[in-house]
Amino acid sequence: MQLETFRYDNTIVKKFTLATVVWGVVGMLVGLIIALQIFIPELNFGISFLTFGRLRPLHTNAVIFAFVGNGIFMGFYYMIQRLCKTRIFSDLLSNIHFWGWQLIILCAALTLPLGITTGKEYAELEWPIDIMITLIWVVFGIQLIGTILKRREKHMYVAIWFFIATIVTIAVLHIVNSLELPVSFLKSYPVYAGVQDALVQWWYGHNAVAFFLTTPYLGLMYYFLPKAANRPVYSYRLSIIHFWSLIFLYIWAGPHHLLYSALPDWAQSLGTVFSIMLIAPSWGGMINGLLTLRGAWDKVRDDAVLKFMVVAITAYGMATFEGPMLSLKNVNALAHFTDWIIAHVHVGALGWNGFLTFGILYWLVPKLWGTQLYSKKLANFHFWTGFLGIVFYASSMYWSGITQSLMWKQFTVDGTLQYPNFLETVLQLIPMYIIRAVGGTLFLTGVIVMVYNLIKTAGQGTFIKEEEAQAAPMDKTPTRLKGHIWIESRPIRFLILATVAILIGGLVEMIPTFLIKTNIPTIAAVKPYTPLELQGRDVYISNACNSCHSQLVRPFRSETERYGEYSKAGEFVYDHPFLWGSKRTGPDLHRVGKKYPNVWHYHHMSDPRLMSPGSIMPPYPWLFDNQLDIASTQAKIGAMRSLGVPYPEGYESKADADLLKQADEIVLDLQKAGVVVDRDKEIVALIAYLQRLGTDIKAQPAAK
Amino acid sequence: MNKLFSSVNKRLLSLLLVIASTGTTFAQAQDESDLGKVFHIGVFIFFFLVFVVLLTLISYHNSDDGKVPTLVKAWRWINEKMTKATPIDQEAQVMLDHDYDGIKELDNVLPPWWKYLFYVTIVFSVIYILNYHITNVWALSEGEYKEEIKLAEIQRAELMGSGAFITEKNVTALTDPASLALGSEIFKKNCAACHGFKGEGLVGPNMTDEFWINGGGIKNIFRTVTNGVPEKGMLSWKAQLNPKAIQEVGSYILSLYGTNPPNPKAPQGTKWVDVASADSTKAVVDSTKKIETVKK
Repeated sequence: MQLETFRYDNTIVKKFTLATVVWGVVGMLVGLIIALQIFIPELNFGISFLTFGRLRPLHTNAVIFAFVGNGIFMGFYYMIQRLCKTRIFSDLLSNIHFWGWQLIILCAALTLPLGITTGKEYAELEWPIDIMITLIWVVFGIQLIGTILKRREKHMYVAIWFFIATIVTIAVLHIVNSLELPVSFLKSYPVYAGVQDALVQWWYGHNAVAFFLTTPYLGLMYYFLPKAANRPVYSYRLSIIHFWSLIFLYIWAGPHHLLYSALPDWAQSLGTVFSIMLIAPSWGGMINGLLTLRGAWDKVRDDAVLKFMVVAITAYGMATFEGPMLSLKNVNALAHFTDWIIAHVHVGALGWNGFLTFGILYWLVPKLWGTQLYSKKLANFHFWTGFLGIVFYASSMYWSGITQSLMWKQFTVDGTLQYPNFLETVLQLIPMYIIRAVGGTLFLTGVIVMVYNLIKTAGQGTFIKEEEAQAAPMDKTPTRLKGHIWIESRPIRFLILATVAILIGGLVEMIPTFLIKTNIPTIAAVKPYTPLELQGRDVYISNACNSCHSQLVRPFRSETERYGEYSKAGEFVYDHPFLWGSKRTGPDLHRVGKKYPNVWHYHHMSDPRLMSPGSIMPPYPWLFDNQLDIASTQAKIGAMRSLGVPYPEGYESKADADLLKQADEIVLDLQKAGVVVDRDKEIVALIAYLQRLGTDIKAQPAAK
Repeated sequence: MNKLFSSVNKRLLSLLLVIASTGTTFAQAQDESDLGKVFHIGVFIFFFLVFVVLLTLISYHNSDDGKVPTLVKAWRWINEKMTKATPIDQEAQVMLDHDYDGIKELDNVLPPWWKYLFYVTIVFSVIYILNYHITNVWALSEGEYKEEIKLAEIQRAELMGSGAFITEKNVTALTDPASLALGSEIFKKNCAACHGFKGEGLVGPNMTDEFWINGGGIKNIFRTVTNGVPEKGMLSWKAQLNPKAIQEVGSYILSLYGTNPPNPKAPQGTKWVDVASADSTKAVVDSTKKIETVKK
């Protein structure tokens, strides 16, 4: 058969490579800054943009969507052309994809520090950016499918399967979770409320980990590992089984983020069992990776690329074993809301995503520039500093998480909490936080050394813009293929089947939670927020208070003693979005309403250490200067009504008057306590919201 | 840091020792504290990691020329049994005719240990759902919580009955400096936010004058702190402070009388006549009476 000659485009790979490295450094640097802020709150320099609550989402977004995201695309553009034996579908779309994605990142970097956020974890970006993400993702999808359709290799390799699953699932997750009603150009409310919002959010959050941080990286592993080791993939049939079981089972596991919450028990249990069943499918990827290295372990000793990859795959194995363990109720009861989870995700992020990216970069950059790596020594130095960084990071956070959780739960023989003062449990952790920051510094140092090494490598070679290759055209004569080979040779049918596999779990969990009323028993005493409280809630969201404070009291004696009655599903029905949070750096706030007088909150926000000596919460001086955006009240009330919150028809016209009336009451109360404040400052609204939190059911204690 | 090691660590270490020496404490799940649970898991994960590291290290030695150490031979044997992998030298038998940009694929059988692990997790899941939702032999969150509270109440009742407990009836004011220092610590952490650091009063009333809303004297203060006065914003502290601590903080509050701190809040409540010139029991009787008159 006649061989055809064609050219691979390396320019787009180079662009994404640069972006990966640059955003990697930025994302990790922001991470290091917030790690330091935890024990030196002054490091925000009194500026709202640089405060922990706002930088934390910037860190997570930068690392996940900028560093790992660009890493995915870097690897994708390199391997898809070679695996399909064709040039990328469209050079124009490549560029739209690249610049569009960088623009999204830039928008994120501008809006998040300004407090423009939806408040939903890992989906903080506001609706115009959400639309951009959707469009760019479609471009990515066209590039994948288009390239596959013009391939010269009939049978799709396993790496491509993982990319197909990634494309459809992320699209579904992103669109469903980001359904929101715009109030203004940069403000929206999610269409879901309370428990339902929580379910959708963690279905998304969990599967963003699964289909953004895991499946595309497994795809990359399946290409770059056998390439770097020059060994055949261990088992094709293992690939098949673990691929299909992984994508089918993963989607169900979201509710394990909501154990002991107000989510219905049956949904929690599904989250647990599907997480447990995920161990083997996840490990399938680890085994297939590690066993591919059979007979190449001697290379691992010398080759930094393989070393990085081996640690990455091992970290993947550890994190995917730990995840299911954390989904067991008794382990979760201990670990949830603590630094244990921070340790867990960082084993994944630093170990699996970080190290695999580094391994690929050390392999790819010399290839793209047609040269050898500038310094093996520096690469090995990077390996060891990075490895040590992970060890410091993980061990300190495990210790910190377990210590704090045990302190929260410790009762004295008299039956009282041993550490009733939350702050006491925080101050115990400071040494661990310092060690964590040391770990982060080591990791970042290694990355900077890598940047130097890669620049030097590129400098000593010449960039190969286009690479010529030859292959026979695809044999289009119909052949009788059987079973999986049949499906693996038909991309569109493959895509449809994968979509079905990933839809089932989400549908089974969501439909009943949305449609069956008994799942969220209503509480008559729970009323919509007043206009001032609603505005205060948005101040809370904008300052990302939920980065550090949960609003979910779990049904444990240690929590009901500390905070009050545990949280009920019916209490959150007007919460667009839900604000349960995922980490308690500070105490839970669901029952904080009416617990302290207004003036306590006033002083506490102006300087937390005044009310809680030694507190690691930064002061919020801008709340006392910023004017409350009262003009938006009417639009917000209207939006909430459209979402089903029962404000009376025409209430908008009275909302402003009600808002000012309530603000005046608070101002008057503060005055009595010797504090003078204008009624139109953000602090007044925030106090109103905090004082409302969790108080509705107190009016009717026998909640049903 | 010191505290960290002394409190939590010691317990953790001793537990680790217990686990190490018995090794079979898994069976006693019923009596386990949360601490125990963590440590079982922790130990399990630890051994698992050690196992992985060992295997990796051993595999690393695969390539040493010539001699094959016994350990490596043993590992290879286990590996063979566990994975049923086709040996590398016969790998042509399972080589598929796949070639993706130079990547070849073998078709080794599914490692049996992996396959059975998968089956076990599926069986576990079925049992889990059965026990929680069909036969209901395991308690769901709410049931678990009720059980926990019931247990705590029984324990508390036992303690109360034993007489070892300080109560409103038998509490006395302490005057020794050590107790007052402890009381002062508790005050700063819990009370100062509302009553001022020097007890001068802020949101809550002044603690240094002779006027009391809910009655002065150690017994009244003990009761007020224990149960709170929710309608006036005073919290109940019984969940957070044990009776001893309430006694200490109450005694400290009494010691603030007449300290005249700066910015005092105006007196609130009724003047409490201190009959302390007489013996303390009498004062207590008086104070109770006083409250009754106020209520009338």
